[in-house]
Amino acid sequence: MNRQIILITASALVTICAHAKLNVVATTADLAAIARAIGGEEIEVTALAKPSEDPHFVTPKPSYIAKLNRADALIEGGAELELGWLPPLLDAARNPKLALGALGRIQASSAVNLLEVPTTLDRSRGDIHALGNPHFMTDPLNAKAVAELITARFAALAPEKAETFKLNLTQFNAHLDSKLEQWKKLLKPFAGRRVVAYHNTWPYFARRFDLKIDLFLEPKPGIPPTPAHLSDVIARMKAENIKVVLVEPYQNRKTAERVAAETGAVVVDFCQFPGGLKGTEGGYIELLDYLVTTLAKAFETTERQ
Amino acid sequence: MNEAIHFMRWPLLACLLLPGLLVYLGLHVIQREIIFVDLALAQVAALGTCVAILLGHEPNAWQAYALSLGFTLVGAVIFTVTRPKDRRVPQEALIGIVYVVAAAAALVLLSYSVHGDEELRRTLVGEILLVGAGDLGKAVAVFALVGALHYVFRNQFVALSFGPNPPTHAALWDFIFYLLFGVVVSSFVGVGGVLLTFSYLIIPAVCGSLLGKSLAAQLCVGWLVAVIGSVCGLAVSYAADWPTGAAIVCALGLALVVVSVYKRAFGRA
Repeated sequence: MNRQIILITASALVTICAHAKLNVVATTADLAAIARAIGGEEIEVTALAKPSEDPHFVTPKPSYIAKLNRADALIEGGAELELGWLPPLLDAARNPKLALGALGRIQASSAVNLLEVPTTLDRSRGDIHALGNPHFMTDPLNAKAVAELITARFAALAPEKAETFKLNLTQFNAHLDSKLEQWKKLLKPFAGRRVVAYHNTWPYFARRFDLKIDLFLEPKPGIPPTPAHLSDVIARMKAENIKVVLVEPYQNRKTAERVAAETGAVVVDFCQFPGGLKGTEGGYIELLDYLVTTLAKAFETTERQ
Repeated sequence: MNEAIHFMRWPLLACLLLPGLLVYLGLHVIQREIIFVDLALAQVAALGTCVAILLGHEPNAWQAYALSLGFTLVGAVIFTVTRPKDRRVPQEALIGIVYVVAAAAALVLLSYSVHGDEELRRTLVGEILLVGAGDLGKAVAVFALVGALHYVFRNQFVALSFGPNPPTHAALWDFIFYLLFGVVVSSFVGVGGVLLTFSYLIIPAVCGSLLGKSLAAQLCVGWLVAVIGSVCGLAVSYAADWPTGAAIVCALGLALVVVSVYKRAFGRA
C-alpha cells in the first residue's frame, strides 16, 4: 500500500517536472521578446525594466527580488548596461542558478562583437562603457547571435525540449532574414544619410543600414544637453542639411523639438524595446519593422519639403 | 509571509534600528524650530559627494566620505554662527537658503557628471530596498557612536534644546550638536534617501509631541510610530510592489493622520 503511494507520488512528481515551464527573467523587453520567440509555450518570461524606462536606471521594487529568486535563468544585456541596479538585486535574491558562470546566467553581450570599446578609460569622457557600447540589440544580426546563445542555454537547462527550441530558432531566423532584406531595401535610397540622436544608442543600427548616426544632443554620453553644444549641433545640421532627430521615450523630447524647430528637421520617436512605443508591442521583429518604416517615412517627408 | 521577511530582512532591520536615534534628534529639531536643517545638512553633505565624484572618486570611496564629512562640518559652522540673535532674520530662512544654494550647486556640478539627474533622484528617493549588510553595519556603527555621545552629554544637549538655561559654552555645544546631527543625517541619506530621512526625523517626533508631555513619553510614542510605520510601509511595498522608501513615507504620513484624529477625539488641548 505504502509502496504504491510512493510510486504514484514519484511518477506524479516526474510528470510535473517534465511539464514545469522554464522560469526566465530578462532585464529588458527586447531580450524578453527574443526569449519568448525561442521558448514559446515552454517557458514563462518576465522583463524587469519597463520598455519605456532607461535601462541604465531602473527603480528597484520588491517583486524584482522575488522574481530573481525564483528564476531558472536570467538574460541580461551585459557590457555594464545594468551595472547600476542589477548586482544589488541579485545579491538580495541569492539565487545560485543565476551566479556568474552558471548555465542560467545568460549574458547577451558575450554573443556579439561590441563597438566603441575604449582604449583608455576616463570618466571625464562621460558614460563610456569599459566593455563597449551596450545597445547592440538594435542590429538584427546581433539579435540573431543572441537568439542562438539563448537557444543553446535553454536547451542545456531543459534538454527534453531542446528540439522545440531549435525549431523555434530556425523559424525566428528565417522570419528575421526575410524581414532584413525588406528593411535594407526600404532604407537603401537613404544610404549614407546623417541623423542626429539624443543619446549614442544607435551605432549598431546605423552600421547595419548604412546610415551615420554620430551626432548627439548630449555633449557626452549621459550628460544633459548644454546650450553651447546644442548651438554647435544646430549649426552642423544646417550646414549638412540634416533633417531627422531621434529621441527615445525617457529622453527629453522638448530639447529635440527645440533643435528641430531651429533647423526645420523632424523629431522621430525611436525606442530600443518592444512596447516602448505604440505599435511595437508585438516583439523584436515588429519593433525593428516600426523603426525602419518610421525612419524611411521621415526621410521621405523631409525630402519633399 | 516568510518570503516577504526573507527578501526584506535588511531593509526591515535598517528601518527598525536606525530611526531610533533619528526620532530622538527629531524632538530636538522640532523644539528648536529648525525643521528643515536636516534637508540642508544632507544637501551640503551631498554637495561634498558631488565634488568627490567630479574629482574622479567613486561615490562610496573613502575620499567621498571624507569630503562629505568636511562639507557637513562647514554646514555645522554656518548654522552655529547664524543662531539668531537678531529676530528679524529667522534661522529657518538661512536654513532654506543653505538648502537651495547647496542643491543648485550640486546641480551645476553634476551637469559635468554622467547621468547627474539620476544620481540626484537617487539621493532623493534612496535605495532602502537594496541596503546590504555592509552598508547597514556601517550606519549602525555611526548611529551607535553618536547615540552614545548624546547619552553621555545628555544634560548639555537637553539644556541646549529644551532650556530653560543653556549650558556653559553654548556655542561649542551647538556646533557639536550640528556636527553630530550632520553625520547621522548624511549617513542615513546614503541608505534611505532624503525623503525617508526627513520623514523619520519629523513625523514620529510630531506624533510624540502631540501625545506625550515629558521627553521620555514623547520619545516612546515616536519610537512606536516609527516602528509601526516602517513595518506597514515595508509590508505594503512588498504586497503592492511599490517603491519601498516612498511607501514607508506614506505609511508614516498616515500614522500622523491617525494620531491627529485620535488627539482631536480624545485628547485635551
